[in-house]
Amino acid sequence: MSLPGLERWRALPVTRRRQILTPILLGIGLAFPFVTSNAGNVDAAANAFTYVLLALGLNIVVGFAGLLDLGYAAFFAIGAYGYGIAASGHLKLEWSNLWVPLEWAGQVSRLVVPGQPDTVQFHFAFWPMLAVTAIVCAVFGALFGAPTLRLRGDYLAIVTLGFGEIVPVVARNWEALTNGAQGLGGIRTPKFFGFDFGFSPYPYYFLGLGLVAAAVWISIRLQESRLGRAWMAIREDELAAGAMGVNHVHYKLLAFAMGAAVGGLGGTFYVAKLTTATPDMFTFPVSVMVLVMVVLGGLGSIRGVVMAALFLAFLQSVILQDLTEYVHALGRVVGSETLQRVELITSLELIFGLILVLMMIFRREGLWPAVRRVAALTREQQDAAPARGGAVRLSWAPAVTPGGAERPLLVIEGLRKHFGGVAAAQDITLTIRAGELVSVIGPNGSGKTTLFNLITGLVPADAGSIRLNGNEIGGLPPHEIVGRGVARTFQNIRLFNNLSVTENLLVGEHVRLEAGVLGAIFRPPHVRREERRAVEDALEVVQLFGNRLLPRLEHPVSGLSYANRRRTEIARALMTRPTLLLLDEPTAGMNPAETLELMDLLRALPGLGITVILIEHKLDVVMDVSDRVVVLDHGVKIAEGAPAHVRSDDRVIEAYMGRRRRVPA
Amino acid sequence: MSTLDVVLQQIVNGLALGMMYALLALGFTMVYGIIELINFSHFSVFMTGTFVGLVVLNLMGVTAGGRSLTGLPLIGTLAVLFVVTMAVTGVLGVLIERVCLRSLRNVPGSAPMITTIGVAFILINAMLLTWGPQTQRFPQLLPNWRWALGAAEITFKQVVLFVVGLVLMLALSHLVKRTTLGKTMRATAQDADAARMMGIDVDRVIVLTFFLGSALAGAGSLFFGLYYGFTGYYIGYTTGLRAFTSAVLGGIGSIPGAVVGGLFIGLTQSLGGQLLGVKWTDVIIFSILIVIMVFRPNGLLGARLPQKA
Repeated sequence: MSLPGLERWRALPVTRRRQILTPILLGIGLAFPFVTSNAGNVDAAANAFTYVLLALGLNIVVGFAGLLDLGYAAFFAIGAYGYGIAASGHLKLEWSNLWVPLEWAGQVSRLVVPGQPDTVQFHFAFWPMLAVTAIVCAVFGALFGAPTLRLRGDYLAIVTLGFGEIVPVVARNWEALTNGAQGLGGIRTPKFFGFDFGFSPYPYYFLGLGLVAAAVWISIRLQESRLGRAWMAIREDELAAGAMGVNHVHYKLLAFAMGAAVGGLGGTFYVAKLTTATPDMFTFPVSVMVLVMVVLGGLGSIRGVVMAALFLAFLQSVILQDLTEYVHALGRVVGSETLQRVELITSLELIFGLILVLMMIFRREGLWPAVRRVAALTREQQDAAPARGGAVRLSWAPAVTPGGAERPLLVIEGLRKHFGGVAAAQDITLTIRAGELVSVIGPNGSGKTTLFNLITGLVPADAGSIRLNGNEIGGLPPHEIVGRGVARTFQNIRLFNNLSVTENLLVGEHVRLEAGVLGAIFRPPHVRREERRAVEDALEVVQLFGNRLLPRLEHPVSGLSYANRRRTEIARALMTRPTLLLLDEPTAGMNPAETLELMDLLRALPGLGITVILIEHKLDVVMDVSDRVVVLDHGVKIAEGAPAHVRSDDRVIEAYMGRRRRVPA
Repeated sequence: MSTLDVVLQQIVNGLALGMMYALLALGFTMVYGIIELINFSHFSVFMTGTFVGLVVLNLMGVTAGGRSLTGLPLIGTLAVLFVVTMAVTGVLGVLIERVCLRSLRNVPGSAPMITTIGVAFILINAMLLTWGPQTQRFPQLLPNWRWALGAAEITFKQVVLFVVGLVLMLALSHLVKRTTLGKTMRATAQDADAARMMGIDVDRVIVLTFFLGSALAGAGSLFFGLYYGFTGYYIGYTTGLRAFTSAVLGGIGSIPGAVVGGLFIGLTQSLGGQLLGVKWTDVIIFSILIVIMVFRPNGLLGARLPQKA
């Protein structure tokens, strides 16, 4: 589109656009009931808000964290029944004095029936229950999520589907609690300072609008926070996320809990409006419908999901019915009996099925995806001579190596690891001193990468100890080892491919930031400060690579050249503020000039208080930059020492060349 | 009847049901074994099969409420019924693969599985719109013979289920283990790329797998119709999920595992229904599903780990 206004609009920064859009959208939302003459439309919109809430909740789980949940309706059900039970008086518990405080608070009353024990009558108020059901759902979300932590992809989806099936069956069968298949009736409607919401759609419309606005706001805040980045990192590459300090157990459970809480709000709102809850309101087709909304709008795209949910909800409640009436009218005009009997609403699920299939085949990113537009680099930017060197400086790096140089930083003793019959590490003992640059070399399959995997906790050792600064780190999960100051890059680059360079780097800083859920949502001053600092740190780290990455900060890393992806990965590792950096073949795929450029950086790292262990196949690089060289062969350390010394070691030559004697010069 | 006799009766019933779950689980497991896809549309292919069987029987003049058949007419009708239904559902499976799944073959993540959910919804609602929401009676063409088994009894229906089920499973086992075709299937399941480099037409193997799996689902759907005497657009989901649990229980990807799992789920359903109440059957079965998935994702007989992220 070439509308000049649109171009100018897109040129505005996101924050400015939001400042303009928010009042406009809220204004439209608030004005809608007064503009439309039809109370039915307001009612339909209020119901649609339920689905928007559900879709936004599922979007946190599926869109942000990439965990496909096929039983999401379970949380809708728990939220709905939670409020239903608390506000319907169906559940009859025996009276005990523990209820007295709640009786004072006016939430329960004592029911006296002569000849029978006294019972408790529930009539909890809507507003506190909104929070209670959200918390209950969050707990169930974490509970249902916990068994899936070990599972991936489709298997995870099946287990969530299992829970999604079990919840309605329990709701149907546990009659004392839920009144079985008949469902709960006579659920109290909310009151607001004495004003009873009753059965008019208008108050529910405004309540729903408020809840949706809150859910959108929370979604945006989460997405653009340390939490959102951690979720996206897990979604893109769980192993790399762990190696960058993201605790995947914590963040997956958090995603399940947050998603469930929003679903619970939807459930509570829905039954408060409907005043009944039955088990068949929460079956598999409901889970699929919410999934269709998220898929149609675009996984992870908040605006897309909201639009899709509104559209599909209106399709169900208004559009299909209107269309049916048109078809009937057409049938009367042309005198066709068949046309007059068509009921388009019955094909709703058929439409859902078609949407799923067509979207998956033709437009998996959704109709309104969350991707940002990035301008291609100009020729000048592409051709710019790579500026090399400059001041190598990181503001957080200590001027001198802490604790003094030459102090043993990493001490490995008797490290052993077998994969079946293959010995990848056999009693490796190694000491790395602070401020050193040590290279690990050896033929293919000699156990170099396994050594890195053992140090970073990606692979558990069979025996031996790994101590960092005198503290054992063997057996710790990868994210904790990162927290203690060990960072790494991977031999086969493992970046978060759909995230931009900046986002990749910010994930690296994850362990050095502190924002939790509340911090991410409300963004108090200290969170704003640390976010600002993180962006500054990222810029600083990127400048270590001259102008290589600088013009590409907002580009998705999948579009970068091989060498630039290597640089991004090193930069991401530096963002964790390591004291020990493990680089696995950092110059692989780089041309000689680029290799030289990287060697400059490698030489400068010890000056920043960063000790380096390097796996490298280019021996000229190794001989040039290393203080010491360690040689591995078949998991055994066969030599260690200064580069020149190692080069003339007979066993090293044998390992590489397979000969007993040196070739005479 | 004493408790023991009740248990014996439920074992007979459970094994007959188990044959149906096993046939259905085989289709899941074969497709998963080849392309690591959890195929939700398999449920609805099964459900569609019952309607195909209904039409085939009606075309042959056998209608619900009609009399049961004996002798040669029975054998002939059953043969035509099974062959035609299995052929139609087999082709349906192939169509699903060609139209919806082939272009997603190398797409990572859950997109192919989500597509099969969509296909399932399309088929279910196509049947709903064609046949209406009411339950359809399925012709009871098998005579109501029954034999005493101690205090329990076994019906002719159950015998037919056992015999046909066993014949189909043996045929499948022969095909997979003893023929070149089976060898190409096993090779593709191990490593599709390597198989392709060895000159195996992987696309053909995948199409064949979908055909066989869906044809077995067609046979399973006839079991359902003959056993329960009804069908409806909604039958696929619950039965399909139970069959899927069977496949997972036996170890998804493992053909003998699917049979063992199917029989186990059949027994669980009949015995669990007897002991704990029918209304809790699904809770039991889905709990088994979750427990197996989490603690023993390879299943009882399977050797494969879930690989697809």
